Amino acid sequence: MHKKGLLGQLIQSFCCLPGVGPKTAQRMVFQLLQRDRNSAKALAETLLQAIKEIGYCQQCRTLTEYSLCEICADKSRDDSTICIVESPADAWIVDQATAFKGHYFVLHGRLSPLDGIGPDELGLNILEQRLASGNIKELILATNSTVEGEATAYFIGELAAKHHVQASRIAHGVPMGGELEFTDSSTLLHAFNGRRNLDTNVA
Amino acid sequence: MSEPYRVWALMTDTAVYLQPAFILQHRKYRETSLIIDVLTRDFGRISLLAKGVRKAKSKTAGLLQPFLPLAISYIGKGELKTLTDVEVMQPFPELKGLGLYCGFYINELIGLFLHKYDPHPEVFAYYEACLSRLSDSSKIEAALRIFELDLMDNIGYGLQLKQAAGNKKPINPSKHYAFNIEQGPIEDENGLFSGKTLQAISARDLTDAHVLAEAKILMRAAIDTHLQGKPLKSRTVIHNMVKHTKNE
Repeated sequence: MHKKGLLGQLIQSFCCLPGVGPKTAQRMVFQLLQRDRNSAKALAETLLQAIKEIGYCQQCRTLTEYSLCEICADKSRDDSTICIVESPADAWIVDQATAFKGHYFVLHGRLSPLDGIGPDELGLNILEQRLASGNIKELILATNSTVEGEATAYFIGELAAKHHVQASRIAHGVPMGGELEFTDSSTLLHAFNGRRNLDTNVA
Repeated sequence: MSEPYRVWALMTDTAVYLQPAFILQHRKYRETSLIIDVLTRDFGRISLLAKGVRKAKSKTAGLLQPFLPLAISYIGKGELKTLTDVEVMQPFPELKGLGLYCGFYINELIGLFLHKYDPHPEVFAYYEACLSRLSDSSKIEAALRIFELDLMDNIGYGLQLKQAAGNKKPINPSKHYAFNIEQGPIEDENGLFSGKTLQAISARDLTDAHVLAEAKILMRAAIDTHLQGKPLKSRTVIHNMVKHTKNE
């Protein structure tokens, strides 16, 4: 359905969102215009403001409206450990799920030679400056467990080694509550290669 | 009344079961799917739609990765087939570091030089051999050169390395040659390539560092000529990466 006019245009605009097709867009538009014009106004204004003001944090490249994001500005956090993630969403998830109290660095992508995405596109010169400053003790490489993610982790690991900084890769293996029978073979292979000693120091 | 029968045959003919394949490249498609570019043994380079593999509970997401020897099944009648099943063939040496980066490079080469749906079973074998050589970090350069040479030979861009282009004399190991990509070596005192190197390349004996260096110059010129100005993105990126990790 391609309705012309402002209404059609608005419905079309909503379709840019992930998971939103024409039908859902239609519902959203009618909800906002018929029942909830105040929320619609607030949404539009916040959206405009966010687009204008939110940029990248100078230090970790995550999304923020300040020059330093909340995490980087937080003095109580440990600034000698940096967790490397592919997207701001990943940093968000790691921060919620773990007790990690260090800083983050957001790549906004992964090394992908086939798409022409190299170190410069990922802002690695900013990371290198931080590594060279000598304050960093450990890098935690939390890129995705894909071939490109592995390549990225390995490459940043090499950068860390060049600056004599320790780098660690997050473990991947059998998911919690997962049964071996239903785990795919490449995950199982990783889980086996990355096995660790059982801590049986019972006093 | 042969028409309906033919349509039916076309529809079933393209159901392929457990075809050996490697994934060359994948890109996201819609919310949960991928479009993957695959090198199969018997059907050449094809594009497949892998539906729903990016869902949280997808079992195949971990398998649909480049550089893993897969057996894939797919079905479909158009240009874009639909992936129905995927299995890992056997454990394969994992690529790391430079070997992995160079793996992306040979994937790009295949994408640029092989036409879709053009079967090249030999190229598949070369590719497999190249990947296992790339896992040994001391043989990366040689592995790339051998693959480039074999790929070029197989798709009709092979280099003529046996005799001089002008006078048809066999290559003399003690002489020097310039190289014309289309015609072959031309005897030239100031030429970049020694006869010894050309013989070694022809015999795929790439152990000597000097031979490797000259082979690199030669293959780069050959590839660039045949790409006719198309960019080779991975080469630039890998060059950049190596520059970053070098100790100043």
